[in-house]
Amino acid sequence: MAGYLARRFMQMFLVALVAAICAYGMLYLVPGGPIDQLLAERQNAGPNRITEADIRRVRERFELDIYLPFRFTRWLIGWPAGPLPGGIGANWQIGCAVPGQVRLRYPDGRVEVREEGCEVPVTMADLEGRKVSRGIVFGDFGTSQVMLRGRPVADLIMTRLPYTLYLMGASILLSILIAVPIGVYSAVRQYSRFDYVMTTLAFIGASLPSFVFGIFAILLFSVLAKNAGLPYLPPGDAVGVRDYTIPLIGTVQAGSFLDRFLRFLMPCGVLTFINIAGWSRFVRGSMLEVLSLDYVRTARAKGVAERVVILKHALRNSLIPFVTLLAGILVALFSGALITETVFNWPGIGRLFIDALGRNDYNVVMALLIINVVLLLIGILITDILYTVVDPRIRLT
Amino acid sequence: MATSTTAVPLEEAAPRRSEGQWAIVFRRFRRHRLAMFCVGLLAVLLLLSAAAPLIAPYERDEPNLTGRFLTPMGRDADDGLHILGTDHLGRDYATRLLYASRVSLGTAFTATLIASTIGILLGMLAGYFGGWVDTIISRFLEIVATFPTLLLLLILSSILVQNINAVPLPAGGASFLAFLFAVSEREARIIFAVILVLAFFGWTGTARLMRGMVLSVRENVYIESARALGASNARILFRHVFPNALPPMIVDFTLGVNGTLVAESALSFLGFGIQDPTPTWGNMLDYAQSYMFQYPWMPLIPAMPILIASIAINYIGDGLRDALDPRQRG
Repeated sequence: MAGYLARRFMQMFLVALVAAICAYGMLYLVPGGPIDQLLAERQNAGPNRITEADIRRVRERFELDIYLPFRFTRWLIGWPAGPLPGGIGANWQIGCAVPGQVRLRYPDGRVEVREEGCEVPVTMADLEGRKVSRGIVFGDFGTSQVMLRGRPVADLIMTRLPYTLYLMGASILLSILIAVPIGVYSAVRQYSRFDYVMTTLAFIGASLPSFVFGIFAILLFSVLAKNAGLPYLPPGDAVGVRDYTIPLIGTVQAGSFLDRFLRFLMPCGVLTFINIAGWSRFVRGSMLEVLSLDYVRTARAKGVAERVVILKHALRNSLIPFVTLLAGILVALFSGALITETVFNWPGIGRLFIDALGRNDYNVVMALLIINVVLLLIGILITDILYTVVDPRIRLT
Repeated sequence: MATSTTAVPLEEAAPRRSEGQWAIVFRRFRRHRLAMFCVGLLAVLLLLSAAAPLIAPYERDEPNLTGRFLTPMGRDADDGLHILGTDHLGRDYATRLLYASRVSLGTAFTATLIASTIGILLGMLAGYFGGWVDTIISRFLEIVATFPTLLLLLILSSILVQNINAVPLPAGGASFLAFLFAVSEREARIIFAVILVLAFFGWTGTARLMRGMVLSVRENVYIESARALGASNARILFRHVFPNALPPMIVDFTLGVNGTLVAESALSFLGFGIQDPTPTWGNMLDYAQSYMFQYPWMPLIPAMPILIASIAINYIGDGLRDALDPRQRG
């Protein structure tokens, strides 16, 4: 077991590292990035015009003047933060503060300025005294580059995490509580009217994109209900800004529990519906399989009450494959629902990722991506271990 | 192929004229009423999108600032009829929807075609040759499977769409895609970027499925006899293994088209996919959402085709699954 775990952790570390390198490289190798907005402002004339020195300073703050491999290791493990012990390598060039320019004069008189070489190099000694993260491996996600410039990414995540946790937690719990009974009932009454209706609903729920559900929900429960003068649900955000009046309910104070609850209902409902669509099918399938097994027939033949056969003998075994879904749940709990959070403007982690990506805040994007990969890997590991617990025939080797 | 894989048992097939495999599949599929109806629906959608430039009543990007947010069947200042109304810039909704169908459906089909081809080829190699080929492909699959697909999809798409000149697409390819999607070459590059991204993340499931199919098909006696007759690996793979592993791949492709369609509209909806002057169902819905409080019919217009196409494709996949399943008789 110890050897197995050691090997698995080694593999997990490698996969996470590969994912980190791929994503980091993709983000930084292409033009554009956190500094883009500043460069665009440089075109402006007037006293607030951004100078070369400004750009150089900002490039330094965002570490854009350090070559990519070193930028990556500084982000990963916080190294190099200065010359090696004993002052070795103090003058090694590991970046370029001001790129060199070469003027090319063509025979026909055209002049082209090309960036080539390096005017002012950055050496290891220059890194001394610069602010550096301890490295993502040691739990320091660095600082936000655009969204909350200069603040730690961890702060940004912590402000969003509660919203995602309670939205996802509630919807996952509700989904399990509803999907399992539906799945069991569909299996016990296979091909009944109930089963057909549920099959169709699950089919639609599984094939449609979640934002279509979200928009339909807003349309139905917010827009149309409000226009018809019925009680309606506020369409977005987690907390209101000003008080509003809902027919039959009365005035809702912004920020009150009722306000938060009303705003929470729709995203939670949409997520729950989508989860139920998938999970109830899952439970139905595995329940059908178990119900056709010999030991269930034996139990029935011995005169065990049908209720007990289904709930005690069949259900417990049919929930074993459900364990495989746990890996996904662990990730979902943290990273939220990207699309649903966006549709409902829910200030959770999924929404944070979209915002960060849209505004080129690469440190935030990378932090969320890495947390996601690591949680997914841990989830898969837990699933594999749980399998041996629920099914002793499986051994980990 | 037809003779080697006939699914009809001999005693049953003997009295009537023997029927080819695909004839049986088609006959079974036709019995699935709902799936047949969905084939009709999808055919209409495809036909409309193919004919978009011919039947579209207006110019695709022609704004009309005096006739914004017209209701369906509304008339603008010049008394021009807009069957589905106009959008926030006064562009004709029906026209944009027709072009959007072409882009959305075309992207979904093309990306899935590329993904399935890659997946089938790699799955065939891994399953047939085994050994180190299988090890490399399977390990790679495992690694890709642990990536958070949607996050990487968004990252890659946002990067490529911002830098469309970095997209490796020869000029001929660009003009072909521009023709295929009825868009300009610049827009075709963005579409191609999105297709690449979708295809890159879409092939793993197909590869895994194909590998499993090939593993079981290659154990059959007819493969052994083909080898005994001196057939080359390539011949065995493409003449014997491939056709016999094909049926589940057809279902997989159909469901894959729906997956890609949903993924593309999600990307475009979130603003990281195909960008505005090019209409897609996803980005039309994105804009409609901003105005849905004043104009509640707006989101319905692009959402409906997504609904119809998505459900239709899934039902077709369902019907195909039943029709292609050799364990079912009749």
